[in-house]
Amino acid sequence: MSFLTFLRGISLFRLKRSIVLGVKSLWMHKLRSLLTALGIVFGVASVIAMLAIGEGASFEAQQQIKELGSQNIILESVKPTNTTTAGEQERSLILEYGLTYQDITQIQATVPGVQVTVPSRRVKDFLWNVSQSVDGTAFGTVPWFPKMKNRDVIRGRFFSEIEMKDCSPVCVLTESLARNLFPLDEPIGQTVRMQTSYFRVVGVIEDDPAVAATESELEGSAESSEGMEMIIPITTLEDHFGEVLVKYRSGSFEAEKVEYHEVTARIEDADNVMSAALAIQHILERNHEDLDYKMTIPLDLLRRAERTKQIFNIVLGSIAAISLLVGGIGIMNIMLATVTERTREIGIRRALGAKRKDIVMQFLIETVILSGAGGLLGVGVGLAIPLAVTHFANMVTIIQFWAPTLAFTISVAIGVLFGIYPAFRAAGMNPVEALRHE
Amino acid sequence: MSDLSSDALVENELANTLGAEGCDYRKPVIELLEVEKHYQMGSVLVKALRGIDLKIFRGDYISILGPSGGGKSTMLNILGCLDQPTIGTYLLNGTDVSNLSDDALSLVRGKELGFIFQSYNLIQQLSVVENIEVPLFYQGISEKESRETAIDLAIKVGLGKRLDHRPTELSGGQQQRVAIARALANDPAVILADEATGNLDSKSGGDILEIFDQLNSDGKTLVMITHDEGMAERTHRVIRLKDGGIAFDSRTEN
Repeated sequence: MSFLTFLRGISLFRLKRSIVLGVKSLWMHKLRSLLTALGIVFGVASVIAMLAIGEGASFEAQQQIKELGSQNIILESVKPTNTTTAGEQERSLILEYGLTYQDITQIQATVPGVQVTVPSRRVKDFLWNVSQSVDGTAFGTVPWFPKMKNRDVIRGRFFSEIEMKDCSPVCVLTESLARNLFPLDEPIGQTVRMQTSYFRVVGVIEDDPAVAATESELEGSAESSEGMEMIIPITTLEDHFGEVLVKYRSGSFEAEKVEYHEVTARIEDADNVMSAALAIQHILERNHEDLDYKMTIPLDLLRRAERTKQIFNIVLGSIAAISLLVGGIGIMNIMLATVTERTREIGIRRALGAKRKDIVMQFLIETVILSGAGGLLGVGVGLAIPLAVTHFANMVTIIQFWAPTLAFTISVAIGVLFGIYPAFRAAGMNPVEALRHE
Repeated sequence: MSDLSSDALVENELANTLGAEGCDYRKPVIELLEVEKHYQMGSVLVKALRGIDLKIFRGDYISILGPSGGGKSTMLNILGCLDQPTIGTYLLNGTDVSNLSDDALSLVRGKELGFIFQSYNLIQQLSVVENIEVPLFYQGISEKESRETAIDLAIKVGLGKRLDHRPTELSGGQQQRVAIARALANDPAVILADEATGNLDSKSGGDILEIFDQLNSDGKTLVMITHDEGMAERTHRVIRLKDGGIAFDSRTEN
């Protein structure tokens, strides 16, 4: 008997009664049915939950990378770890490292399509509002910093090019610094002191999203000085704090000279980002003996994140496929046992007029009910897990509407796939022998 | 008028020669012609039935007796369309069923035959009414109609108060009555009973036999496979099988 003629034999009326019958037969062995369906439940639930968590994690990562700017190349100064040169320089008391004015001039002159660069320097010290102090950073940069870094000015304004030219003592506070330094007052128009210099607050800018993300993970540790930034014109920073930074640490002190802490270069054409990065790396390799810089290419990170996500999806898919396969095999195993156990019933039904396809349909429907119910239960559990993860672990989870739909459809398909063999085996029984079966 | 009555006389005579007095001689419900059934048992060919010629008429009440191995079970399987003859022709209600496909054979079983088994053979997960409905379901009778028929039959066999009981909640006699109701559900041409009282005590067995008597007097055709001589005595015709052939076929006096 072919499958097509079997399908033609299904009428809606019989289908309904066969479903009722299937439910009844499964209900007779509640525990067995539940345990059989459990494989599918876990399979489907894990598919949905893993997809939701994976999707959420990669969404978060991509969001963070995008905020760095996909056309940007970020260069940072890193304190060298090479001990021989460090020892030499220690004798001169001033540790010199990092990106130099020369690097930036060369990059701007030789790399095509470098549009704007955002150089920046940092000075770490206490920031004061009269008697209130916060361990923070003075961050010297250029007026187009917010545009390049995709960060919004929340209140007031950012400093202007004229103010940079004039080395004006103005500053823009990050949101968290403003909250810490001026918990009750309006910060704009107030003055902030660092060491012996005073700066007038002209605006408040949103926190660095990368810092904000790490901060939320370390909830409660208000001590963190990360993100407590007073942003001032880079010229002003040089003017007030000089090029050599002296740090006093528990009695001793160390001095270091860093011309730029961070430089962001924007490449005009997004297609040229990778080649421009290569060119910049060549320049830096020629200028620096030690590896005292770090280059971050958000676009590269993005691509890598996407590739990681692909691999992740393949791994998840295989795990899901395997767990569903195992569930399906479990169902087939039990259905084969059920068919043997109900040989007598099959014989009775055949004697009373059931055709082979009636028997096939009966067992197939029973299997599909089992796997479908398992699938439905799995969808429920699978939707609950991401919600719980979001609630308790504070992770972003994204449930795409197709995930539960797909998972349920697959569970039904598994019922059909793994139900066919037991069903045809039941239908293939000789009625005479089936009736004689004990 | 006289012509007609003389015609009727001729017909009666014809019926007598066929050995089925008082029955519709023109249409044998079952007709076996030269039926043989062979089995291959290893290297040995077993001839379970050989050269069976048999006519069963509407309203017959027959018992088939014989020693074990005499071909009773094979006979039942052939008559019940559960198996097909190796050689020969089987006409059921005028239709040749000896070469039908499996599907067509299923249809014939469901429509023309009612089975009553020694071990009742009820489906455990179904209630009394649902068990009676099984043959109707496979005939595609609507839910409402089959439910009504099943309830009527359950009442008829005296189980009106146990419609929703499961087979395990019933006594053997009651279970066999459910089986009888189920066998009647499709109003079959022939009811086949295989050692129907074999698992029952004499009291409930007697009750079952009374139902059979009643069914026969209502015009049903009954064929009983048995080894119980007492049971055979109630029937109007006894067939004895021996070594796969009909050794004796007669009508008992009653």
